[in-house]
Amino acid sequence: MSATLLLARRNFGRNRVRLLASVGGVALALSLTLALDAVYAGVASQLTTYIERAGADVWVAQSGVRNLHMVASSLPASVVDEVGAVDGVASVTPILEATDTISAGDERAVVYVIGLPASAEMGGPWEIAEGSARVGPGEIIVDRGFATQAGVTIGETVGVLGGEARVVGLSRGTASLLNSVAFVSFDDFQAMRGHAPVISYVLVRVAGVASAEAVAADIERLVPGVTAQSRTDFVAQERLIVTDMSADVISIMSVIGFVVALAVVALTVYVATLARRRDFGVLKAIGARNRMLYRVVLVQAVLSVAVGFAIGLAFTGLLAFAIARTDLNLELAITAASLVKVGLFAAIIAGLAAILPIRQVAGVDPAVVFRRGAPA
Amino acid sequence: MLLARRNLFRDRTRFLLSILGVAVSVGLILLLSGYRAGVYRQASAYLENTPGSVVVAERGIRDFLGTSSVLPADALEAVRSTTGVDRVIPVVSQFVIFDLHDRKDGFFLIGYDPALGGGPWKLVEGREPTADDELVIDRTTARQHETMIGDQVRLVDRDATVVGLSDETTFWAGSVAFARISTLESLLRAPGLRSFVLVTPSPGVSPETLRNRLAVPGTEVLLKSDVVANDAKLLARVYDAPIGLMVAIAFVVGVLVVGLVIYTATIERRREYGALKAIGSRNRTLYRVVTIQAVIAAIVGAVVGVALAYGAGAMLMAWRPQFVVAVEPAAVVIVLASSLLMALLAALIPARSVARLEPAAVFRG
Repeated sequence: MSATLLLARRNFGRNRVRLLASVGGVALALSLTLALDAVYAGVASQLTTYIERAGADVWVAQSGVRNLHMVASSLPASVVDEVGAVDGVASVTPILEATDTISAGDERAVVYVIGLPASAEMGGPWEIAEGSARVGPGEIIVDRGFATQAGVTIGETVGVLGGEARVVGLSRGTASLLNSVAFVSFDDFQAMRGHAPVISYVLVRVAGVASAEAVAADIERLVPGVTAQSRTDFVAQERLIVTDMSADVISIMSVIGFVVALAVVALTVYVATLARRRDFGVLKAIGARNRMLYRVVLVQAVLSVAVGFAIGLAFTGLLAFAIARTDLNLELAITAASLVKVGLFAAIIAGLAAILPIRQVAGVDPAVVFRRGAPA
Repeated sequence: MLLARRNLFRDRTRFLLSILGVAVSVGLILLLSGYRAGVYRQASAYLENTPGSVVVAERGIRDFLGTSSVLPADALEAVRSTTGVDRVIPVVSQFVIFDLHDRKDGFFLIGYDPALGGGPWKLVEGREPTADDELVIDRTTARQHETMIGDQVRLVDRDATVVGLSDETTFWAGSVAFARISTLESLLRAPGLRSFVLVTPSPGVSPETLRNRLAVPGTEVLLKSDVVANDAKLLARVYDAPIGLMVAIAFVVGVLVVGLVIYTATIERRREYGALKAIGSRNRTLYRVVTIQAVIAAIVGAVVGVALAYGAGAMLMAWRPQFVVAVEPAAVVIVLASSLLMALLAALIPARSVARLEPAAVFRG
């Protein structure tokens, strides 16, 4: 086997351009799939940040509403007390939530506006870069990234919910690729929505020993017209938005990446075999069997795919690292599942790529080596 | 030229490979850009197909898809009483998620008044909703979830009956569904809620004039074309980076494949090039031979690739009808030009080894 390896390696190492093209092509194609997976995983993790950091153990929403993004939950204000009365509930905080735009000058950005009661125990910003963590009437806390982009500082006003609010705090970690979270006072929010006695979600903290799942089940049983989920379940539902809605796109892109990688590896292995026909002829002339030659070809394919995979992974990792350091609110999360998938891809590609030159190898005439001027 | 052609056709497998490489690369680029164009076209479908050239939204809101606009209570009347207004269509819009078949599907729910307009523009089956528990959903979505007219679907916290199926209403993350305004008012517990008003100016009044005239407190008045452009910008933030990345990769792969094939073809014909040099050919002539090979491969490959893109696009749309692949003529032209660029770049790869070739090589064994 070591002779096979040596030959395969020499076959490849001989020609640096070809090696570069082959390994580079594989790396490119595999990192395409890896990066795409990572982008979606990153978006999913950004989507759930608010849920994970809001401090609630249980989220109560309008019946049938299992998500925070891309939906609206409207509950009558009376449910707050009903939820508060359920056994195992330590405290409740109602919030209002809507997708809106904040604007400052010509800069505008999509935000999830959260209306926070003055006495809120949960649901507020979890990391403040500057200013206050509490919002009173006429005040707003915006993401630091938006403030930098729009050039607003604390004390200045921004447009939100069809009115205006004065920036009192800048939060951190509240932005995603698509939007950021902004916090205003509950009363302002309600006033801008015509004083309707409606809330969006009730955030619940459970008493010490109670399990969030059990309390959520109790709330659903005792309070009509609501869906209650533990934080863990809510996060899982939120992740499903990304995976379910982008599943088709991801599979199409994965197929494309797969085909591209396959084409590149197959071609380079084929070409390398073709160019070394003489060597194969010599091997045959000294008694090597076709099987051994196949093995050389296969090892060649495996080698280039393995190196390409490693480079692709390193490249994606580097990309993730670099992007995390830019102002882009993009997060690349390389997951184990995606590594396994792409690794499997790579293995299949190597196997398939080795099939193409088999006919070539089998057809090599040992006598070729003795002819003068045979193709090099 | 003769030499280039002979060189290229001598080994049919290799020639096919190089064409295939270009074709896959060109086809991929076209397919991706067609997909992107399709996403934009779908995203603007509702606005483009609903009458009106001026959109009134909540103050600060300039897009239709990304946000939930809430108009001030008196805005609709104020718009109606403005001179130069011919037709007014109020709509309520809200993104909702349906859990259908254990899978989340996004619906952009439009609440409209059938008497005023703003509903499905291509109702292919059934009728418009006449009661609060009735819905019109997209035909493709209905087929995928095996839902038929008369079936019940779960609309957030209530049941609704599907009474009509619409066409051209699939969407980048789901589809458009239609209900009466009162359905959304009740669903969102917001009586009197209006998200947007689409306004048609009277004959003789230009949309720009009307936009400037409509000064309703608490609102943003925009041309419909501007709203469509803003929606596209919103989508661009999601789509343009990944698609751009893949187009770039496809391009590099195309260059790589053609370059590689021609490179090996050159290496194998080293003797012939050497002979040419020996009889006095300059490097320039040899470059030309290499470049012509690359260009032939690129042109044939590009033509095959365009066909491939149309074929794959049609297949994709048959498999998943919610994807619209709109291969635009402008994109085809750009791709053909880029395949020529591909060929020229690819020709650089073997050029060096041709230049270094010694004429004497031909005389050695």
